Amino acid sequence: MRRSPVSQAGGVAGRAGDWDTATAGVVLARLGPRPQPPLSFFTPAEEAAAEALLDHLLARRPGDPPVPVLSVIDARLSTGQGDGWRYADLPEDDRTWRRSLAALDEDARLRHDGRTFAALDYGDQDRLLHHIKQLGSRDWYGMPASHVWTLWTRYATAAYYAHPHAWDEIGFGGPAYPQGYLRLGRGLREPWEEPR
Amino acid sequence: MSAPWWQTLKETARPQGDIRRRNASAWLPHVTELRSSMRHFADQDEVDMVVVGCGAGGATFTQRLAHAGWRVVCLEAGPFWDPERDWVSDESGSHHLYWNEPRVIGGSHPVPLGSNNSGRGVGGSMVHFAGYAPRLHPSDFRTRTLDGVGADWPLSYEELRPHYRRLEQELPVAGQFWPWGDPHPHPHPPHPVGGNGEVMLQGCAALGIEARVGPVAIVNGRFGNRPHCIYRGFCLQGCKVNAKASPLITHVPDAIVHGAEIRADAMVTRVETDPQGRRVTGVRYVRRGREHFQRAAAVAIAGYSIETPRLLLNSANSRFPDGLCNDHDLVGRYVMVQGAPQTAGRFPDEIRMYKAPPPEVSTEEFYETDPGKPYRRGYAIQTVSPLPITWAEHVAQQGHWGKDLRQRMTDYCHWATLGALCEFLPQARNRVTLADEKDRHGLPVARFDHYHCDNDDLLLEAATRTMERILRAAGATELMTIERYAHLVGGCRMGRTPEEGVVDADLRTFAIPNLFITDGSVLPTQGSANPALTIMALADRAATQLTGGTP
Repeated sequence: MRRSPVSQAGGVAGRAGDWDTATAGVVLARLGPRPQPPLSFFTPAEEAAAEALLDHLLARRPGDPPVPVLSVIDARLSTGQGDGWRYADLPEDDRTWRRSLAALDEDARLRHDGRTFAALDYGDQDRLLHHIKQLGSRDWYGMPASHVWTLWTRYATAAYYAHPHAWDEIGFGGPAYPQGYLRLGRGLREPWEEPR
Repeated sequence: MSAPWWQTLKETARPQGDIRRRNASAWLPHVTELRSSMRHFADQDEVDMVVVGCGAGGATFTQRLAHAGWRVVCLEAGPFWDPERDWVSDESGSHHLYWNEPRVIGGSHPVPLGSNNSGRGVGGSMVHFAGYAPRLHPSDFRTRTLDGVGADWPLSYEELRPHYRRLEQELPVAGQFWPWGDPHPHPHPPHPVGGNGEVMLQGCAALGIEARVGPVAIVNGRFGNRPHCIYRGFCLQGCKVNAKASPLITHVPDAIVHGAEIRADAMVTRVETDPQGRRVTGVRYVRRGREHFQRAAAVAIAGYSIETPRLLLNSANSRFPDGLCNDHDLVGRYVMVQGAPQTAGRFPDEIRMYKAPPPEVSTEEFYETDPGKPYRRGYAIQTVSPLPITWAEHVAQQGHWGKDLRQRMTDYCHWATLGALCEFLPQARNRVTLADEKDRHGLPVARFDHYHCDNDDLLLEAATRTMERILRAAGATELMTIERYAHLVGGCRMGRTPEEGVVDADLRTFAIPNLFITDGSVLPTQGSANPALTIMALADRAATQLTGGTP
């Protein structure tokens, strides 16, 4: 069995020695140090609101393995890396992020004596997000709430579930080229796949 | 009609010399090696045909004309891919395969673009398409006559059949004998199925619904120099193995050795005509920041359902003030997507749907109009198998977030997913127009508005119920369904008259005799079939008509 230099990493990343170089380069970069400065798009106020928002959307806890999410979103927005479309009733993704984070703070201030979203306790943050979610396609600060919600979750899940730690969490085998899969079918596992 | 087993035997045991003579792509060195010897034309050189876009339609058209001795330049806005260097076995790292330039979506049911239904670079969206390659049914060409909905095509299934067959051999398509529509064998045998495919086969068998393995444009066994599939499951991220078909490997190599130039990174901004607007003279394009004008005796546009109408609208001139070929307000109209609800089922045992290609099993039992139902036309059901990011989008779209989302995601290995393709009907109001917003070239971007009609909603409901029944019959204990859309066709449909269509059955525009449209935008209806094979077959037929060849 060939051992890769990163096999100490364990999990999916531990098999990086079996991947092609192009794939290994792209995936392993997510484990390494993030570019400095870490953020270039979000202002500190937006950063605070966004981190608190992401804590809820992704149910992040202090003990979780480190998976960069906000810095990935920031990098996408600062380089204009959109998804190739936007809703006609919302501005471009970068402006919608700014507007929606400002709206989050504004809504929090209105309900909780001028405190920002990040300054609320966990339960109040949670209640506010439930309220926005329940608005459906109704208006929230000049934006259809459901379109804002899908923008948030789309960016958040795309960043989180791109990370090898997240793959280990859900049992995904990760890149499989050039070796491919040998055991296909219900209930079948490759030797390195853990029972789930 | 002889028995299916006999037809299958004949098709799979036949010599391949004729395929190699008309398109030797599979037997040539890899396209990455051929590029260095590619011919180059000067802008001032009036080539016989300039093709705009190197996807399913454009690449097939280019190869056929070059093979017949025409001097062809194919301009492609995206890069010339090298699968080994440019593609990765990773969802997030494959974002560059899509058309990510700005576009606006509206209407009561906006359709997300980008990863879902756009392509960029040599090979087009087939680079990341799942690989399903079914034909349309004969009834698809006459839905107005047969069912009173949609539109009749200016050509019949029988006229397209020989082209379907040629393309199936060239991709080649693998799968079991196809019992629906025009029953036919496939040149390569069916692939082994993974957990998701087994679930669908078992569920369908329990309910007495016929299902088949395939048809997928993935080599099963050696084909020329192309290796077979290794079942790694990343079909939607570009096939590094070169087992899954895309024009980059199925048609571009033969085009290059027959003297065609594939000019990548060239964004066409405008089609030019003579002062009277009677003939096109060439195209303007931007490459590495500089504007060029390629002279051509004829032009074929193959930018697909969003970019083709956009280019025509952006090419307005004094003769065509509302956009080139838009005398009858048809350019950009009747754009169609298939309703593609996705239903997932949770199973006690491990399914691991990420193993094996996502396209595995399909059924067309519900494809045709059933007089006993309140809707016209029908739907197909296929396995889909989303990878983690797409799966997270599925779960999030169900309304799950936070702890609920994370917990459900940890169950990824236990879910199987089916997708339907519902034949949404063509509507004039589902259209591409120009938005006020401009792209970095200073050109107005496309806006796509989309609405449902009642028949569309009834089909969505029926298809979802059937997928739920199949998954339950296979043992699913919990279900999750989301609404989504798949594929894109229409926008410059073909017709019998200039009032009915932008192009005729030979894909020549009615307004300008040396301008062609050779992509999916010409389809008047869409059936419930994935469109790639039909787009290629139509381009093949148009080229055959033009070069005087026989199919």
